[in-house]
This record gives sequence, C-alpha cells and structure tokens, in this order.
Amino acid sequence: MAMSPLLDDDTTLFDVNLDGTSTSEDGGYEPIPAPKTKSKKPPPYSRFTQQELPACKPIITPKLVIASFTFIAIIFVPIGIAALSASNKVVEIEERYDRECIPPIYSDHILQYIQSVGTDKTCTRRLTVPKHMKSPVFIYYQLTDFYQNYRIYKSSRSNLQLKSKADEGSELKNCGSVQTVGDEPIVPCGLVAWSMFNDTYSFSVKDKALIVNKMNIAWESDKKGRFGSDVYPKNFQAGGVIGGAKLNSSIPLSEQDDLIVWMRPAPLRNFRKLYGRIDVDLEANEEIKVEIKNNYNSYGYGGEKLLVLSTTSAFGGKSKFLGIAYLTVGGFCFLFAIVFAIIHRFKRRDIGDTAYLSWNRSPVGYYIK
Amino acid sequence: MLGVPDRGRVAIPAPVQGFRLRVFKGNSISTTKYNFFTFFPKGMFEQFRRVANCYFLMISILSMTPISPVNPVTNVVPLTLVLLVSLIKEAFEDWKRFQNDMVVNNTLIDVLQDEKWVAVPWKKLQVGDIVRVKQDGFFPADLLFLASTNADGVCYIETANLDGETNLKIRKALERTWDYLTPEKAAEFKGEVQCEQPNNSLYTFTGNLIFQKQTLPLSPNQILLRGCSLRNTEYIVGAVVFTGHETKVMMNSMNVPSKRSTLERKLDKLILALFGTLFMMCLIGAIGSGIFINQKYYYLGLDKGVAAEFNPSNRFVVAALTFFTLITLYSTVIPISLYVSIEMIKFIQSTQFINKDLHMYHAETNTPALARTSNLNEELGQVEYIFSDKTGTLTRNLMEFFKCSIGGEVYGSGVTEIEKGAAQRNGIKIQELRKSATAIQEKGFNFDDNRLMRGAWRNEPNSDTCKEFFRCLAICHTVLPEGDESPEKITYQAASPDEAALVTAAKNFGFFFYRRTHTMIHVRESCVEKMGKIQDVAYEILNVLEFNSTRKRQSVVCRYPNGRLVLYCKGADTVIYERLASGNDDLKKVNRAHLEQFGSAGLRTLCLAYRDLSPETYESWNEKFIQAKSSLRVRETKLDEVAELIEKDLILIGSTAIEDKLQEGVPACIETLSRAGIKVWVLTGDQMGTAINIAYACNLINNEMKQFIISSETDAIREVENRGDQVEIACFIKEEVKKQLKKCLEEAQHYLHSAPGPKLTLVIDGKCLMYALDPTLRVMLLNLSLNCTSVVCCRVSPLQKAQVTSMVKKGARKITLSIGDGANDVSMIQAAHIGIGISGLEGMQAVMASDFAIAQFRYLTDLLLVHGRWSYLRICKVCGSTSFRLYEN
Repeated sequence: MAMSPLLDDDTTLFDVNLDGTSTSEDGGYEPIPAPKTKSKKPPPYSRFTQQELPACKPIITPKLVIASFTFIAIIFVPIGIAALSASNKVVEIEERYDRECIPPIYSDHILQYIQSVGTDKTCTRRLTVPKHMKSPVFIYYQLTDFYQNYRIYKSSRSNLQLKSKADEGSELKNCGSVQTVGDEPIVPCGLVAWSMFNDTYSFSVKDKALIVNKMNIAWESDKKGRFGSDVYPKNFQAGGVIGGAKLNSSIPLSEQDDLIVWMRPAPLRNFRKLYGRIDVDLEANEEIKVEIKNNYNSYGYGGEKLLVLSTTSAFGGKSKFLGIAYLTVGGFCFLFAIVFAIIHRFKRRDIGDTAYLSWNRSPVGYYIK
Repeated sequence: MLGVPDRGRVAIPAPVQGFRLRVFKGNSISTTKYNFFTFFPKGMFEQFRRVANCYFLMISILSMTPISPVNPVTNVVPLTLVLLVSLIKEAFEDWKRFQNDMVVNNTLIDVLQDEKWVAVPWKKLQVGDIVRVKQDGFFPADLLFLASTNADGVCYIETANLDGETNLKIRKALERTWDYLTPEKAAEFKGEVQCEQPNNSLYTFTGNLIFQKQTLPLSPNQILLRGCSLRNTEYIVGAVVFTGHETKVMMNSMNVPSKRSTLERKLDKLILALFGTLFMMCLIGAIGSGIFINQKYYYLGLDKGVAAEFNPSNRFVVAALTFFTLITLYSTVIPISLYVSIEMIKFIQSTQFINKDLHMYHAETNTPALARTSNLNEELGQVEYIFSDKTGTLTRNLMEFFKCSIGGEVYGSGVTEIEKGAAQRNGIKIQELRKSATAIQEKGFNFDDNRLMRGAWRNEPNSDTCKEFFRCLAICHTVLPEGDESPEKITYQAASPDEAALVTAAKNFGFFFYRRTHTMIHVRESCVEKMGKIQDVAYEILNVLEFNSTRKRQSVVCRYPNGRLVLYCKGADTVIYERLASGNDDLKKVNRAHLEQFGSAGLRTLCLAYRDLSPETYESWNEKFIQAKSSLRVRETKLDEVAELIEKDLILIGSTAIEDKLQEGVPACIETLSRAGIKVWVLTGDQMGTAINIAYACNLINNEMKQFIISSETDAIREVENRGDQVEIACFIKEEVKKQLKKCLEEAQHYLHSAPGPKLTLVIDGKCLMYALDPTLRVMLLNLSLNCTSVVCCRVSPLQKAQVTSMVKKGARKITLSIGDGANDVSMIQAAHIGIGISGLEGMQAVMASDFAIAQFRYLTDLLLVHGRWSYLRICKVCGSTSFRLYEN
C-alpha cells in the first residue's frame, strides 16, 4: 500500500548532516540531506562555479573555413615544391656489392669464404658519378634485414662501462653471452659492439686516392657524454667467435667514431650508417674506383650490403616524401577551399538554422516492429 | 511475565539480566561499511570489483616478472596512487559515518529503573524497557505508546525524517495504559506484546498487547517510530518494541540502485574493444616472434644459454612468453588515466558547477540544486524524453478553495488562469469580476461569492444542504489545528494541502474547526440558528475511515450533541457516485455537469455526501468494525471491506473545486525544452479533464495540434462495466483499446505523410493504459506515442508511471528523464535513465530516490541545456583527447 521511503544506511536521523553529495561510484550509501540543517545562505558567487570565466569559442563559419584552408594551401604548396626540388638536386649513388664481391669459386661456400681469416676479401667496384656532386659527399653503408632493434640485441651493452673506466665491470649482466673473457670483462661488452660492421672502403679517381674524412661522423653528444675518453678497448673480440670489427685498443672509445655510430641502434631493419665524408667535389661522369674489404658476414642472415654516396640539401638527403606530403596536404586544402566556396556560393545554409535539427526536419516517424 | 524466546513476543518490562534470552539485538546502530579489521580487505575488494583496477593489477604483476620489458614502477605507482586515494576517500566517509553513529548511540534517554527515570545512552536500551521521551525529543527505538501528558492519551509526532512530511501526526495510546505516566506507576506495568516480525513497512503494524490477562489489539496508532520526534506534548512514556537495526526506519535503509551513464557504458564497450585489439596485437606479435626467431641471426646471440623467451629451439614457448611481454608493453592502450580523470571532472562538475549554480538556486525555499550522483552529468545533455509528474512539479502544491457546487448550484466567482488562457486562444475576452473589497484572501482560500459569505447562505433556497456541506467540510477530515484557537492565528496541519484548503474554507464560511481531541471535534459555528450568533459545538467522532489510494474516499461517523448520527464522506467523483442512494437523479446530473465544468477549468474536484444512520444500524456495523480492527492478519483489507458496508446509500451534498496553481515559469520552460527537441510527457493521477487543461496551460497542447484521446470513459465501456462481470469488462476494454489504437495509428500515419501536417498529441487514461501496456498492444502504443509531440497520461498509478517510462526507455532506446516530487513518483524516478526530485517543499522521498534534486521545474532548462550539454561536450572532449594522446604515443 504505502510507499516505503528509501532511507539510507547512513541515515543520521538526528543531527549532523553530512555534505549532501557522495560521489562513490558504486552508487551506495548516500547521506540524506537533512532539511533542518541546510545552510541559510545561497551558494557563494564565483566566476568559476558560475562558469562565467572568459572563454574563447570560435564559431566555425564557412568563410572562416574557406579562409583557413586557403591559408594552409598557400603556406604548404611552396614548402612542398621547395622540398621536392631540393630532394631532386641531391645526387645519390647506390651500389650493392654483397653478391658481386664473392669470388665465383666460392659462390657455393659463401659462409666458408666470409668466415675464414685467410681468404682475400678485397673487391673492386667502379661507380660513375651521374651528376656533379658538391662536397661534402657523404659515404654511407646500408644493411638490410639487420635487426638492430631487437630487444635483447639493443640492450646487450653496458652504458656505465662505456662511460668511465671505473665502471668497467658494472652492468655486465646486460651483455649476455659477451661479458667476459676468463674473469676479465670485455670492453666494450655486449652483442652490439661484438657485431660491429667491419667492411672498409677506399676510393680513388683516376688512380688518385680520395681522402675519406672519418672525423666527427658520430654525434657530438655521444662522444662527449656516453663514451668515456679514459675507456680503452680491452679483451675485445678475444673470445671464441669473432663477430665483427676489431678495435684499436690504444684509442679511447670516445675517439672510436665508427663504434659510436654503430652503437646507436637503428630503429628499422634496413638502415644506413655514416661511414665518412669526401671533402672534394666529384665531377659528372667521373669514374670512382672503390676498393672494398668485404669482411662483414651478412650472408649468414641473408641481408644485403650497399655502399651509398650522397650529397645533402637543406632538407636532408634524397627523399621525395616530405615534398609530396606537403604538396598533398596543400593541394587537398586548396581543393576543399574551392569546393566549399562553390557550395557556399550556390547552396548556402545560414548559421544556426534550427530547421536542420533532427527533430525539426519533416517527421519521419518511428516504426518499431 | 517472561516471553517465550520468540522474536514476536516482547515482555514488558524487560526481564532482569540473567533471565534474558539473547534473541533481541541491542539498540546500538552501525551504519559503517567497514570496521578496523575489515577495512583493508573489504575496501580492496570493493576497489578490485572495477574491471579497470583488476586489469592494472594484472599488468603490474606481469611487469614485475622477468619477461617484462618495462620497469614495474611505471605500472605499480599509478595503480597504488589510484587505490590509495580511493581508500582514503572511503575511510574518510566511513569515519564520518562512524562518528555520526557514536553521537546517535550515545544520546541520553530516560529509562525506568527502580521506579526512577535514569538517563542512559541509546545504545544501552533493550527490548521491553520503559522509556520517557520529552518534547521535541527523538524516539530512540520503535516504541509502544503507553501514556502521554496530554489528555486522552494522545501525542503529536513529526515524521519529517521518515517521509519528509512536516505536518504533525496524531498518535493515541490504548485507553487501558493511559495511567502509567509516573515512574512509580510505570514500574507496575507488566505486559507482553505479540507482534509481527521486524519489517520495513512504515505505515503498518499488527500486534496485540496482552495486559492484565486481556488481549488488546495494537495498530500503527500506538507505535512511535524511531526517527520521529515528539511535538506539542510534554512527555510520553513508551515501551521499546524494536531496537537498533530492527527498527522500521533502519529496515528501510537500502542502497540507492546505481545508475551508469550511457557514455560510461559506451566507454566500457570501447575499452573492451581496445582490449580485444590489444589481445590481437599481442597475439599477432607473439606468433610473429615465434616464427621470426632463428639462429641465423647470429648477431642476436640466440644460441647459447639464452632465456627461454628467445630460445629458437622451442618456438611455442617463445610465442607464449612474448605474448605476456607484449601485453605489459602495450598495456597503455587501455587508458587508466581516463577513468581517473573522468571521475575527477564529473566530481567538479557536480559539486562546483551544478550544486553551486545561482541560476538554479531557489531563494524562497533556500534550496540550491543538488547532484546526488556525479555519474550522470553528461547524460543530462542527451535527454530526449521527459516524464513529468503534474502535482507539485508542474503545479505548485498550493491548493486554494476556488469554487463549489452545493445542491446543484455553482458558487464562486473566480476565473482560473487556464480559463483565461483558453479564452485568449478562442479570442474571447473575459471580463474578470472585480473582487469585492471584503473578499477574504488567505492561503488555501481564494473564493468570493456574496451568496455564501458572512452567513448569507442562510438566505439561499438550499440552505439546509449548505449547512450539511459546511459541516462535512469542518468535520470529515484528519486535520490537526495548531496555534491559538482564533480564526486568524490558527494553522492547520494536514496530510494533503487539499484537506487544509477545505477546512480553511469551512472556517471562512463560519464553521471554524478549532480543536481536536481524540474523540471530539470542536467547531465554532456562526449564523447557524440566527444571524450573528456564535456557538461552539462539539461533535463526537465515532469512527474515522481513512483515505487511501484504493478507497479514494474518506469518511467520518460522528454524533451530534443532539444525538444525530451521521456519516460524512468525501472522495473522488467516481467512487462517491457508485455509492449514492438511488433517486434524485436531477441533482446527480447537474452535479456531474458541474464537475466536468470544474475539471475543464483545471480545478481539482471532490464530491461530498452524507448518510444519516440509525443507532441500531450503527451499533451492528461498529461491532464488525471493531472486530476487523483487532484482527491480526490482513487488517487493512478487512477494514476496507467493513467500510464498504456503511459507505452506501449516501446522499449527495455537492462538490468542491480546488485550484492547483502552476509553478513559476513552467510554460516558458516547456517551450524552450520542446524547441530543443525534448518531448515532455505528463503522467498524472488526476482526471483527464484536469490533466488536459494543465497541459494546455503548460503549452504542451494547443488548438493547432491533432489530439488523439483514448479514454475508458465512453458510454460503451460504462455500459459493460455496469453489468459488472470482471472478465467481460477486461476483454471488452482490451478490444476497445486495440480498436482505438489502430484507428489513431492509421490517422497518425496519414498526418505524418501529409507534408506540413499538424503536430500530434496523445491523451490516454490509466485504465486504457493498463491494457495498452499489454505486450500485444505495446508496440502499437509505442509507435503512436513516439510520433506524438506530447503525451498526457492521466489517472495512472505509480507503477504505470514506471511502466510507461521503461517502455520508452527500452522501446525507443532514447535517454529518458523523470521528474517528480512525491512518493508516487519514486518508481518512475528510479526507472528512468535520470531521476530528478523536486526539493525544498514537503516530501523527501522523491529526492531520496533521485539523481538530481532541483527546487523548481523551470530549472530543468539550466540543468539540461547548460550543465547537461556542457558536461557532455567536455567529457567527450576528454575521452577523445585521451584516446588521441594514446594513439599518438
């Protein structure tokens, strides 16, 4: 018969009234606001609680949209064109040499050839300069299918050890199987250093050797901060299996630019790393003779090795991506601006026209089966 | 006298220690969720019931294993922080509850010990103790009322804490126990109470007092519930019947059912989808890693002594372990921060913006808006259907006696707002009669007619009927007078404002009801025998047949000082007409016409009737009545049955019309809401005419709209009803409703297809609705009603209100909002997505069931169109940007 009032568990029927609201998300136990103990004053005025703080809420009118699209197009299209033309000006020579540098007699025993110490791994390639290449010409080596980003590979190093001589023995456990020789720690330890790239290139034009400048190819911050000037290679590649390059143990790590470049892991499996610089211009149609020491074993995992010579532009190396991206965005914005302008001109809608609201359109009616 | 160890038997006074059988709980209460020992495990359990927390616990555990590529700190710290903050919040809230409990449990109360009143804390009270409660004090437990300092063993109580009603209620002790007032006397009291098991029904109590070898029946009238307070009485003496958690008010404690917003549920689904994506990502990654891993990558050092996760010799283990690694690695796909930030935002929105909005502060009642839950803020911005109660929500619950019809004559010169509005729509100008300078202006009375006022009724041709009419108004009620016994200073405490208005009207007609004792009603009658003569008349009240929603009427049997026995009855027109004596059809017809006229003016009507009783008839009936009253089981039904026996052969006196004023700003608010595409439905218990007129006045219906009316008040249905076969009636009405629905639906489709068709409205009454809600007809009803711009359901029960709400909620899959102020709206408020209670006036039940409480209907505009919309937009922005930030990572 009668409704039972829904009193609550913490009904304090008698006196103290808790603050009216509870926000417990499980919805339970809410105190009843006792009518007697209500505050006698209205809620205090503040611009925050009354939601009267100054605010900027731009109304997106058709004109504003058209104008901003046009503006974006005007900015982006020239940037895109500039980037594309800069990329086109970059001259790049790519030479894959991993297959060609295997002597035909070894083509069935590639691993044996590459792993043996005794075989002659010198290999000569000739490259033609397609266009004038303005110095500096950057020399890269490119590896494919090399997973420098693999977790146990990437973390197989001891950053403490690389930084200072005092920490030679610390964090060795990160280095996995390449930690120690006997009881002596390997410096630098870990798979990354162990598998360092060790092909070398020497260039000559018309029998005149081109000097490869290997100064400052590593990041300045790496050289100063991460690799100690008092840390010298120790016991490196002294274990059973030799992975890659050996290091001159009389040069501190901070001067070993090749190592530093290698130790900065590439995020993708195909990557280029800086080998050096040629500080003279290369003329068009010049033939460059490259003498390669094909030492590095990319055959075991089936990857390619490439040698790349490239100039740079203000936008970096040869890449059409940036230019095309800018052009596409700019182009679409321009297109939309025109389309919207046409629609706005010929089939305009007034801002805030309530006739378009769903419930004001001609009633379609509900039919529920 | 020691009771058997059965909860249903209470010995008074409480047996001495040692003999006590420990079957009753003590009177100390605890509303805390936790205690010192259970806090941590229980609190943690509560926290981990949330899926997000569970998920992050799993991730944290995984991240502590060696397979994790990430530092466990990144997962453990945020989780710990979230848990810590939640636990501290819980602990703080529980501590506040505990302190409240302590204050309550240690309140002092006078208990009878060794013929003296001794003050002991509440928690020491035991079942069977005899206690003394002083004026304005709270009852410490459910008490059996024994004696009072007031004459006739009555006391007055305020039940505001139970149901929010601030009017005083009267309680009367059994006559046999009136004397046990002094401690010496009370110490002699020995008795035993047989009663029902503790239950949560506040308005029922069945039991017997076995006292001096006699069995006396107990009713709710002798029970003083914990939570109520004593008023207008110096002190009372009572015996403890139920204590602590067994008291009715504590039995009523329950958790508010938690509602979750649709956005939150959608978010849950999204999270689930994200989890699926994560799972797939990890699975693909794991399989990929299993395939990839190969010793040919010599530089990875996979050959000797490498961990199982990287050992190519068992690819399955590699895949399985990598799967878990990937889960920890990608765990940030599931945003834990999103839940935390959403909660914080909602908390600020509800406590700072909604609760403190000055636009929703009602100065007259000093009521700010109150967001009782912060879960549903953004739901407010998506409401499409509003279900509104009428009385107290659209209209002020301010009743004014406006017109009356006595013996076939209409009195009262006022013109209602609704009539003015209707006239305006029809282009007629109504000249409002100027109120005579002497017209009485009083709360509850807005009536002027020189034919009745100041004793002028004596000159009317039907002055005898007028006398009966006024006496009926003055006698047939349950109103309590308060304050000085002078017409100016007296205030009436009534269960409903209608009653107060009627008694006020009687006062202004010269029948001033000024005092009520338990057996007598004192009326100061002027100008009855002679103009200007004032005399005090005391009517003996023999029986009161109370009002309830099934009876829809109220009767009083009284004895005049000259011995005349009369039954006065007032109630809804339908029930009164059913019980009229045959004959006098002209009056009935005229009165019915007047009722319709009043109804169309938006007035609430009641019919008044009386019956003269012969002493023999009365005596024989009274015996049955007493028997029914003392029955232990189904007392209510038995009383209703007995009442039927005497409430018949009534003679119609006339009818009253009470104006129900619209709340401020309601039409404008509804106009705004409908422009925002929100449809407003009115669900009311009122008659169809009144409901339609209120709808007109609220701008819900106008003359341009096409109205579909489905009513059970047709001649065909009435004819079948008169035949009285219940099964036939049901079948017939169902067929009739089906026919009407079909017709309306066809018509509606016709209108919808005609291009600028009129807007549609549907008016349906409760009886038809009962059949239309039947599963077979429900779809038709839904199709029709959803195509209407407004719907008015009249004469609906609270249950039907809830049914209509959930029909739209489930059928149309739109966000619904229910707003109401009374106990009859509770079910509707709980059924809708959002429940809103009108606070500030009487009645807290709706507010206690609601999610938001506002003081006025018109604040809905601000709540929905400002707070709702902004909350929705802001929460969406947060969800959007969080997920965006996520995929940026």
